[in-house]
Amino acid sequence: MEAARLASMLGWAALVAYALSTILYTTSVFRTAPAIGWAATAFAVLGAVCNFGTLYARSVALHSVPYRDLLGSMKLFGFFLAMLNIVLELRHRDRSLGPFLMPAALVFLIFAVLQTSPVHKDAPELKGPIFALHVTLNMLAYAAFAVACALSMLYLVVGRSLKKRALSGPASRLPSLSYLERANRTSLALGILSLSVGLFLGLFWASRMWKGEHPQWVLDPKIWFALMTLAFYVFVLVRARRGAGPISTARLSIAGFLLVLLSYTAVNVLVSKLHDFTS
Amino acid sequence: MNLVFVGWDHRAAPLDLRERLAFTPEKTREALEGLFAEHILSEGAIVSTCNRAEIYGISAREDGLDALAGFFSRFHRVDDALLRQTALSGRGDATSRHLFRVAAGLDSMVLGEAQILGQIREAHRLATAAGTVHTVTNRLFMSALECGKRVRAETALGQKPTSVAGLALALAGRVFESLKGRKVLLIGAGETAELTARLLADDGVSEILVANRSYEKGEALAAAIRGRAVRWEDRARAAAGVDLVLSATNAAEPVLTVGALRTALHGAPRRGPLLVLDLAVPRDVEPEVGKLSDVYRYDLDGLQEMAAANARSRADEVPHAEAIVEESVRKFQEWWGGLLQGDVVRGLREKLESIRRAELEKYAGKLGAMGASERAAVERLTETLVAHILHDPTVGLKEGDGSERLERAAAVRALFRLDERPK
Repeated sequence: MEAARLASMLGWAALVAYALSTILYTTSVFRTAPAIGWAATAFAVLGAVCNFGTLYARSVALHSVPYRDLLGSMKLFGFFLAMLNIVLELRHRDRSLGPFLMPAALVFLIFAVLQTSPVHKDAPELKGPIFALHVTLNMLAYAAFAVACALSMLYLVVGRSLKKRALSGPASRLPSLSYLERANRTSLALGILSLSVGLFLGLFWASRMWKGEHPQWVLDPKIWFALMTLAFYVFVLVRARRGAGPISTARLSIAGFLLVLLSYTAVNVLVSKLHDFTS
Repeated sequence: MNLVFVGWDHRAAPLDLRERLAFTPEKTREALEGLFAEHILSEGAIVSTCNRAEIYGISAREDGLDALAGFFSRFHRVDDALLRQTALSGRGDATSRHLFRVAAGLDSMVLGEAQILGQIREAHRLATAAGTVHTVTNRLFMSALECGKRVRAETALGQKPTSVAGLALALAGRVFESLKGRKVLLIGAGETAELTARLLADDGVSEILVANRSYEKGEALAAAIRGRAVRWEDRARAAAGVDLVLSATNAAEPVLTVGALRTALHGAPRRGPLLVLDLAVPRDVEPEVGKLSDVYRYDLDGLQEMAAANARSRADEVPHAEAIVEESVRKFQEWWGGLLQGDVVRGLREKLESIRRAELEKYAGKLGAMGASERAAVERLTETLVAHILHDPTVGLKEGDGSERLERAAAVRALFRLDERPK
């Protein structure tokens, strides 16, 4: 079977598995039957395996990294979200992130699978290990920020239910405030580290590849937006470590992810010409 | 042969009678040995808690229930008439249903309490050690434990605390992963504060601060619990630096005000949420403290309201739990019925017969080459073989007393996999 077709089939399989996992995770919030939770995890794992498979098959088809365009990187982003969900679930034996992370992974995969956008030009800047690492680390950072956003939303939900003295209902099955706060800071730190290295590699790569053809590459809005996002998250984490209240950290963490979404979508597609590899 | 139970619980038997009927582990062994020696039971186990003393077992006697009540009257030297008047008893379905309801917490004084599962497990362990648990009681107790676990996993019957102490712990569990390593401030050094401090010290908190109007009294309590006393005027600042504040003074006015705490929180940056439990009447902590960001405040009235609401909502879970109990009863009765109704012999016969037919069909081609009389001879030969194989097990299953017969039947069912559906 040709690699492109296999990539497409595995993409659809991952999409179906993520959809089932999302439904089951959401159901597990309201119903306590253990089998539902286990099935949700099983489909998340199956989806992640297929997602990895589709990335691999795509890389074989393209003879390069599979996420050198927006849709490919969306697939990678979905994969990271699913993987972070599985790792956190196994590490803490807690499924409360699933209903937040798996729908997000599903949405990214839907976009990536439903729209086929072959890369038209075989640009030299899209090849090489530095480019691959740059994209991978940036995607990992964005996935970590997505997890931080989900943890922050959960923090606000649990905090509100405690203020309202509601000890029962779906919110009562969520983790404790102190766990959510700690996990949020860990996710932010992982995201910042990953984005810092990823950006550094990107700048290094761009300085080598674009200096002749695009001498104004330093002014690319995508780069400045990414640096601004990094600065914002560093501010949030430093503030939290210096003792800022967890509620305000949670709110800023959610706001930060809105910046990530903006950087990932509008800035990428509409503003930045240098980072648009689809045309 | 009957599956029976006799018991005295918190509904029918008053406390002083239950006290006299209580079984220590030694008394449990002694009673079980006595019941076996008098041939009242051929299998049995005793469940003894502060709310119940119940015996479950197999009795071959028609007057098994009367004999059990009479035995306990002699064993505990309690008036026979009083015992019979306050006893609960039953046989067959009623026995398994009663034990399963007990395991589910449906028969407990506090609906859904979880301690009973451990007590049933202990009863099974003691009876096993005494050698009085065999096929049926083993299955009965295992099924009861499974039923109890299912009720706790699939319903919210035991999930919501109904006592102030239970609620305080549940709240702490919602705010912190565990109390280990947490810092606590006790405001007051009275009996409630001391009792709570000792419980917290057992839970592994890292530091307990004690703020009391009389510094010396606070210092004495702090020394007793390996904590540290802080000055009364520093209590708000101390509150801002801990994870949990527990206040229980006799003060007529609030001792922790929103203004003082807000100021202290601004001056002392903190990382996590602050849980404030006000166990005093009148209240020690101003209600507005609960409106501060990252501060979760609960007072005694609020905790009691939550406890009452939880008790009401536990009752809503009863039908779901009862359905699980009925399903467990049905499954147990199916198994029990299989043992009693000669299903084993029938099942064994059917299994061997199906094997015989399958083998004949397999060799149908070769047998087809034979004449009709030879084929009939082969048919008779295989039938005779099956009949001979079945003869000894059929006789053996009818030998011995009731418990022995049940054990043999269970062994045959397991060895020949009679409970599995044919593929």
